[in-house]
Amino acid sequence: MQTIEFPMRRYSESEEIDYLIVGVGSAGGVLLQRLARAGFKVVGIEAGPFWDTERDWVSDEVGSHQLYWEDLRITGGKNPLTLGANNCGKGVGGGSVHWAAFTPRFHPSDFEVYTRDGVGADWPISYWELKPYYELLELEMPVAGPPWYPWGDPHSYAFGPHPMGGVGNTLVRGCTNLGIGVSVGGPVAILSGSRGKRPHCIYRGYCIQGCKVGAKASTLITHVPDALAKGAEIRDRSMVSHIYHDRKTNRVTGVSYLDQDGTEHFQKAKAIIVSGYAIETPRLLLNSACDGHENGLANSSDTVGRYLMAQAGNVILGRFDEPVRMYKAPPAHALTEEFYETDPNRDFARGFAIQTVGPLPIAFATQMMAARGCWGWGLRRIMMDYNHWSAFGLLGEILPWPGNRVTLAEETDQFGLRVAHVNFDLYDNDKKLIEFGKEKVEQVMRAAGATEIVQEARYAHLVGAARMGKDPATSVVDGFGRTHDIANLFVCDGSILPTQGSANPGLTIQALAARTADYLISQGTKIFNSDKRDMTSPPVRRELSPPGTHGTGVPRLR
Amino acid sequence: MDTLHDPSSDGRETRRPADPKTGKSLPPLGQPGYYPGFSTLNQQKFWDAATRERVLRRVNDVPPIRFFNPEEARLMKMLAAHIVPQDDRQPSRRIPIVPRIDERLHQGRIPGYRFSTMPPDGNAYRLGFEAIEKMAKQSYGRPFQELSWRAQDELLKSIHDAEPKEGAEEIWKQMPVHRYWALLVQDCVEAYYAHPWAWDEIGFGGPAYPRAYIRLEHGEPEPWEVKERRYEWMAPADSVSDPKGPDVAAHSEHPAHGQGGTH
Amino acid sequence: MLPFSQRNGILEQKPRERDNPVAHFWRKTLLPAVAEDEAHIRQGRFQRSMALLAGASSILAGLEVSYEHYRGSYGQKVMWTPVILSGAMTVAGIFGFFSKWAARTLLRWTSAVTLLDSLAGFYFHVRGIARKPGGWRLPVANIIMGPPIFAPLLFGVSAYLGLIASFLRPEEAPKFGLFRGLLRILSARNSGRKPSPWTVELPSGRFQKHLAAATVLSAFFSGFEALYSHYKNNFRYKAQWSPVIIAPALMTAATMSIKSPKAARAWLPAMSILAILDGGVGFFYHARGVLRRPGGLKKPIYNIVYGPPIFAPLLFAACGVLGLLTCLMRRER
Ligand SMILES: Cc1cc2nc3c(=O)[nH]c(=O)nc-3n(C[C@H](O)[C@H](O)[C@H](O)COP(=O)(O)OP(=O)(O)OC[C@H]3O[C@@H](n4cnc5c(N)ncnc54)[C@H](O)[C@@H]3O)c2cc1C
Repeated sequence: MQTIEFPMRRYSESEEIDYLIVGVGSAGGVLLQRLARAGFKVVGIEAGPFWDTERDWVSDEVGSHQLYWEDLRITGGKNPLTLGANNCGKGVGGGSVHWAAFTPRFHPSDFEVYTRDGVGADWPISYWELKPYYELLELEMPVAGPPWYPWGDPHSYAFGPHPMGGVGNTLVRGCTNLGIGVSVGGPVAILSGSRGKRPHCIYRGYCIQGCKVGAKASTLITHVPDALAKGAEIRDRSMVSHIYHDRKTNRVTGVSYLDQDGTEHFQKAKAIIVSGYAIETPRLLLNSACDGHENGLANSSDTVGRYLMAQAGNVILGRFDEPVRMYKAPPAHALTEEFYETDPNRDFARGFAIQTVGPLPIAFATQMMAARGCWGWGLRRIMMDYNHWSAFGLLGEILPWPGNRVTLAEETDQFGLRVAHVNFDLYDNDKKLIEFGKEKVEQVMRAAGATEIVQEARYAHLVGAARMGKDPATSVVDGFGRTHDIANLFVCDGSILPTQGSANPGLTIQALAARTADYLISQGTKIFNSDKRDMTSPPVRRELSPPGTHGTGVPRLR
Repeated sequence: MDTLHDPSSDGRETRRPADPKTGKSLPPLGQPGYYPGFSTLNQQKFWDAATRERVLRRVNDVPPIRFFNPEEARLMKMLAAHIVPQDDRQPSRRIPIVPRIDERLHQGRIPGYRFSTMPPDGNAYRLGFEAIEKMAKQSYGRPFQELSWRAQDELLKSIHDAEPKEGAEEIWKQMPVHRYWALLVQDCVEAYYAHPWAWDEIGFGGPAYPRAYIRLEHGEPEPWEVKERRYEWMAPADSVSDPKGPDVAAHSEHPAHGQGGTH
Repeated sequence: MLPFSQRNGILEQKPRERDNPVAHFWRKTLLPAVAEDEAHIRQGRFQRSMALLAGASSILAGLEVSYEHYRGSYGQKVMWTPVILSGAMTVAGIFGFFSKWAARTLLRWTSAVTLLDSLAGFYFHVRGIARKPGGWRLPVANIIMGPPIFAPLLFGVSAYLGLIASFLRPEEAPKFGLFRGLLRILSARNSGRKPSPWTVELPSGRFQKHLAAATVLSAFFSGFEALYSHYKNNFRYKAQWSPVIIAPALMTAATMSIKSPKAARAWLPAMSILAILDGGVGFFYHARGVLRRPGGLKKPIYNIVYGPPIFAPLLFAACGVLGLLTCLMRRER
């Protein structure tokens, strides 16, 4: 439940604010909170609504479409991605409103994929630089998980694991029967015990329809309230259409946006952070092309929009003689990362994870349509068996390829802005990985006791398309999210990830946002009046966490 | 009974599922499925107000047809009756499908994307109607509506298999047949399984807030849910949509506009 | 039908000529010991064993509360208090075993604080249920899925035992040399007592009604927990009905014992023994249940935390022990 009990500060449009954030989603929410707490004048402009969760959200599949970015995008390529509900949120909280909230960390190897395997790219930062922020965000959300998580950099969780539903039990049974390690009851950013007035999970299974309970973390409930209390402003239902750039100084000066009546406004700002996620961020940069940046803002490297990634998200469904009732309990509650790393015995680089998914009836029906060719009476029959099915998701790392990219389509949206065109193809390594992974998941499903197994090919999670890197010729932003081309323009969201591992990206996106915020705060006003780049790492500011973060939960082992 | 949301007003015997032992048609039921007596709507006092309002509106208010013209609506109704047949349901307990699709197209709601190879959804529907009529003419010499139930089913199965019967090659060049089929099935499925009567049929618990679940494991029913009581049934003899094993479509990589319960 | 008093009769028989070692042990050692213990209990001279009992049941309760609160992720800081106090109770119980002085001070005060904490816990659990979506308007779902409502009070029972222990008289000097010496030294400083029901009736073992009431309460708490957690499990196994049936029977017997001495001699011990046996059987099933869960012992922590609560049946058996103890007491004047 979300209620805002305090008046929100309002800046006038003529006032030059310090930071303007485009999109108050996973990353935007964290940035807003940190910068406001540090005393900056900060405004978030969000295309979607500011949710009143009790009134706006429903416990219903069809009724939740409003949570997703359902404006037009064109999708193509040999393996076109389905977008909309499958990828993007719209509204304060962004994707964290409808995510399943799986929150594994990336592995140390993810940060040096190129060095290790000669594919993909290296990150400009190492795991160890991000680690303190992982730890911080795991407390701020907080993340519930097992007392010991063995993969990547092994660690523990301060909030205890969740009980299992039917799907989780099948995954645990399948994995343990095969001797595959499995993490039970997390890591997932859902409260397993109440914290303050936030109640714990009630196991209703409607996580990706928005958590009315308030148990699942979204920046709407974890960071935005503190941001507003500290003087940040959010302008909701406002679509940023253009970022303005001053050719003389080579600095950005403000943005124009369209409110819900279609009226255009202009807001001046000393610095701008784009947090619109992997399709809207490059779209906005490309749509903001101007003199001196004819190919799109901050696109001298021609990488804006390129290296878009999605993870292979094949869903493997198994039928059991005993009922499972997979609609109970959060879809996200158990996973294995046993196959995460590159294995020289396989003929491809990198790896995958296996996770629980709990499709509700419509999602299940469409999966059956794809996986089993169901229609007519066959569909009705399979659906009558809904309660006997369990579903696992493959989460496989697809490498960053320059041809997988966001460009501008000729068509325009309701505001007259050119919409995004997304091209996506699979390459050899990706295909081999998916084949191998699919088979592994099927083995686990069989070991759990499934009598019939089918699978649907799909993709999950978008990242990339404005990647960070050390070399301005091959990346859009530096290790702190500052565009190489423009000193007061930042990108901070999923689009800056150079590679994606096979971990769900949300936690990493928020951890990167907290790190960028620490950097901006330690740089102070230098950001506003200097073009010099100081790349020293900022100190970790635990004191900027929202109130109530520290002091609850169990002491961590590590 | 509004004829528009009665997918098969004549409800012939042979179109109903049969008992495999006797071969006799099963009588139409108020609620088919293995959970007799289970009613999600009976639990509505345990739902939150916003959800209750939304679901009840779905049950009580059937939107008028605004996008399709009467002829298109009639054809669409027949397609829906094949894609999600409801002849086992009593006429008063059939779930309106076409009005939902019409409403979406009328409002111009899209799932957030369009395949670069596909025309906009409304055009896709119209092209599809045209293609189906052309195929019917070419292969059977009659309009789709006049074909036997079985012939209609077979024609649709050829689209499902992505090996469409002859007659509409030009159209399939503008619109990949498997994408068209997915669009059609997806929309029908989303209309049917969004309805509480369909939840009752499949034993799904329905909305779950503020009251959720207490029995998470072993597929145990909640105190207010019912245990499964299976019965055998076979699809009507003149339908081809219920093969014995999985019948994987040509493209297992389908567009799905639900979020797929994914991670 | 007091089993022990019957054996008392046997005691007075002369030993038979040829004794096998087992029978010898039975007659020469065990029966006299039991008789002595019974006499001690009747006279209220069992402070040391009671202190130990309070300490031991605190270990059980402490283990249970620490993992139950781990399930709740220690999301509120107060959730640490019962964990700390159960440790303190265990220590105080052990000290109380060795020293009358410790029993009367340390154990008494620790027990009192723990008792207060359990009341506070009860309040927090009621509030926790109220704060769940739907709150008390959805009592069934929220009691079952919220904080276990009576668990804090059940925790309070071991504190209550500790409190009782602090008012009893210690048994005669223990049989072990070291303890005897220690005890002599410690009990040398015997303080004068002011007369009051607690200081007169309790120390002389006259508090049967009092204990009977405690039995009723703890059987209620424990039985209620069994009821809703087995209901949560949809009574998948027939055996899950047993504590739900035995708990009210034990409560009835204990209630009757408050009124009638006869019930205290006949019904209460029978029901108590039933509860103890059932607790034992339950412990077995719960342990088996943990092993049978997906992953079994390969996921020990998870399956213990989320499987059937293995200590809960033992706490149920403890209600039976309390009932048996009640039978042995003398009644208040
Ligand atoms: C069904 C589903 C399940 C998922 N489950 C998981 C999971 O279990 N774990 C996980 O880690 N991740 C999960 N994800 C992915 C996760 O939600 C995203 O990766 C994450 O939210 C991206 O964060 P972001 O800050 O980059 O963008 P977002 O959170 O999407 O925020 C972007 C915001 O910017 C706004 N915006 C965009 N453009 C403009 C503009 N021009 N003007 C104004 N506002 C604009 C948008 O409205 C949006 O609110 C899931 C996603 C989906 C769809």
